[in-house]
Amino acid sequence: MKPRRLNVSGFAVFTAALFFWEILSRTRPELQSYFPPPSGVLRALAELSVLREILRHLIETLGRFLSGYLIAAALAVGAGVILGYSRTAYSFFAAPIELCRPMPSVAIIPVAILTLGIGNAMMIAVTVYAAAWPILVNTIDGVRHIDRTLIDTGRTFGLGRWKILRRIALPAAAPHIATGLRVSLPIALILVTTAEMVVGASGLGFYILDEERSLRTTNMYAGVAAVALAGYSLNRLFVAVESRAMAWHRGASGKGSRERE
Amino acid sequence: MSGNRESTLNGVLVLAGVMTAWEIASRGEFVPPLLFPATSKVLGTFFALVSSGEIPAQILSSLRRAAAGYLMAATIFIPLGVVIGLFERVERALEVVVETLRPIPPPVVVPVSVLFFGLGDGMKIFVIFFSSAWPILLNTIDGVKNIDPVLARTARTFGLSRRQAIVKVVLPAASPEIMTGLRISLAITLILVVISEMVGSTDGIGYFILDAQRRLKVDRMYAGMLSLALLGYLLNQLFLFASGCFLSWHRGMTGR
Repeated sequence: MKPRRLNVSGFAVFTAALFFWEILSRTRPELQSYFPPPSGVLRALAELSVLREILRHLIETLGRFLSGYLIAAALAVGAGVILGYSRTAYSFFAAPIELCRPMPSVAIIPVAILTLGIGNAMMIAVTVYAAAWPILVNTIDGVRHIDRTLIDTGRTFGLGRWKILRRIALPAAAPHIATGLRVSLPIALILVTTAEMVVGASGLGFYILDEERSLRTTNMYAGVAAVALAGYSLNRLFVAVESRAMAWHRGASGKGSRERE
Repeated sequence: MSGNRESTLNGVLVLAGVMTAWEIASRGEFVPPLLFPATSKVLGTFFALVSSGEIPAQILSSLRRAAAGYLMAATIFIPLGVVIGLFERVERALEVVVETLRPIPPPVVVPVSVLFFGLGDGMKIFVIFFSSAWPILLNTIDGVKNIDPVLARTARTFGLSRRQAIVKVVLPAASPEIMTGLRISLAITLILVVISEMVGSTDGIGYFILDAQRRLKVDRMYAGMLSLALLGYLLNQLFLFASGCFLSWHRGMTGR
């Protein structure tokens, strides 16, 4: 990646769009319940009561997101390494995996409500369920495609099963695992916000839907802006952590950037 | 991920085992049968609902919305992606807008869309359109930008007009990436149909499942989920088949 200069034309177009929106909204008041002027949205965000409420919901959403995502990562990487490493284990679970995976994960929400109620446990559980699939599948793939020489080398040096797994299999599969984790990130956010909308208790998903229903459009847009910012920051954070964690790999394998998801 | 015969057998064994265990647990009331109705009951409800035409009708109305939003996204964002991929200036001009809109988690677009379109089909179609746009757009851009420069120069050498070059060289060369984008978007489309139908609808398979849960018709809920899983599987297979036919010349030419 080359160092980026400031994208002048990009920001110009962006500002122009906002400006056009502002003018349109100010000159045609009948549109304001749909398109409140961006300055109004900014003012709402600057208002302490609104900001405080948004932050409160944001923290709820992020808490659920993080617990779900991290649990999914731990479970799916663990299971994926086992299923990728042992062909026998994989042969038992391939069919169930292929059966469950194509169902759009949000359809699990009603089941989760039935069995876990409408609290945090349910929202975290559906996030774990949905986020686990890409991580699981990519980890299995990564471990299966490890260069056999690497493992044989480990064996030649007298490493035990556990050591081979930890010192060779995991690092070699790390790029695949990272891909799975990257794909899961927005999925986890989708599930958290959807669950919040469906059960409607707290969190930004609930807040945005609630403000729309109460026709407080300005606050709704402020909420959307907040969740977009959260999504963007999470993604940047992920990329930063990933490139630091994977720096050794690029060095070792000489592979450059990956495709975009 | 195809296995040999033995591994298929193992998989079927596990599936049969899980289903039997579920059946026994439910019939013996080891788990509350109200929440976990027996497998046989769910399957019975499923076949009854399929043959009565209730599930096919719900799936059809979901599919109609999905197709409308998805096809609209494809017809707008593939050409846009080609333009952005070809002209760096356009890319830079639109970059900030795209990077601002893209991180919005699609579900929160639902309330915005409800505001504009009410609770009808328009709302769901817009949500699907919006959320399936990004994978299509980004993959098309990447595909066009990564075209072998020799191809582009060859087209110029042969005196192809810009239009001919796009149709005959750029689009075919970028088609594998475009297909990838379309496939990712297909999965997203299905998710968003279900979400938008859960949040505000009176029909569709997403509504059907949530409604069954709310009325504690749990066997209907599981039957709906089963049909959704089948639908997801079939759509994906159909897509793979179609793109396989469509891209066969490509594999032949590039040896990939």
